[in-house]
Amino acid sequence: MAISVDPPGVSRDLCKKAGYTFTVLSDPSADVIRRYDLLHVGGGPDGHDISRPAEFLVDSSRVVRWVNFTEDVRVRARADEMLAAARSLH
Amino acid sequence: MVDVVEGRRNWALGVGFLLALGALLCNLVFFVSPPGQRVIPWLSALLGAVALISIARGLWCAFAQPKVYRGRILNSLLSLVSLLLVAASMFAFFHARALPRSAGAPQVGQQAPDFMLADANVQPVSLTQLFAPAVDDPRAIPPKAVLLVFYRGYW
Repeated sequence: MAISVDPPGVSRDLCKKAGYTFTVLSDPSADVIRRYDLLHVGGGPDGHDISRPAEFLVDSSRVVRWVNFTEDVRVRARADEMLAAARSLH
Repeated sequence: MVDVVEGRRNWALGVGFLLALGALLCNLVFFVSPPGQRVIPWLSALLGAVALISIARGLWCAFAQPKVYRGRILNSLLSLVSLLLVAASMFAFFHARALPRSAGAPQVGQQAPDFMLADANVQPVSLTQLFAPAVDDPRAIPPKAVLLVFYRGYW
């Protein structure tokens, strides 16, 4: 599931353009982003508050089993790394 | 007798320009996200640093021995462009890494905070409900895990 400050309209357009079939959630007030301590103050265009990039693999007990915090926004999570983490769950 | 000095190419400046260009073009590699991509920011910084040394050497040659390394204006122009390329790659480096520490984010073994957010069709989605067995379809198997991908947005 993807989460950002983008409103549902923007997410819907993004999914249509990119052909995404997974769930994309909207957190426009960045409440959840703050709860996860991922707020990047003024990180967006025009100084908007956005989320910093981060990935969490959460199991059915809501326990985090894998995280990825990039130090550089240009270095994006690779699908094979995320799939390997998912497969390692028993 | 005319004292003819043989002209030489300003290799240092040429190399400096190519390294500066390389430092900036490193950013294109990120689009394909290759394995080992984490090293690319540092490669870009290294190319930039060596470029600066080479440019400095090239400028010194051009101004200390103007009869050998001819074309002071051209050399100065090339140096300026090269310095701008290095500045651009260094700006990208620091800007891309200016991220909050996020020390309070849930780590491996910790609980991920629950939430309820609207999806692209403005339907509410909750993390705990996602794992709960479906009420309307008893054969549906809830997921074993969920990958939460927080992203910057504004794409």
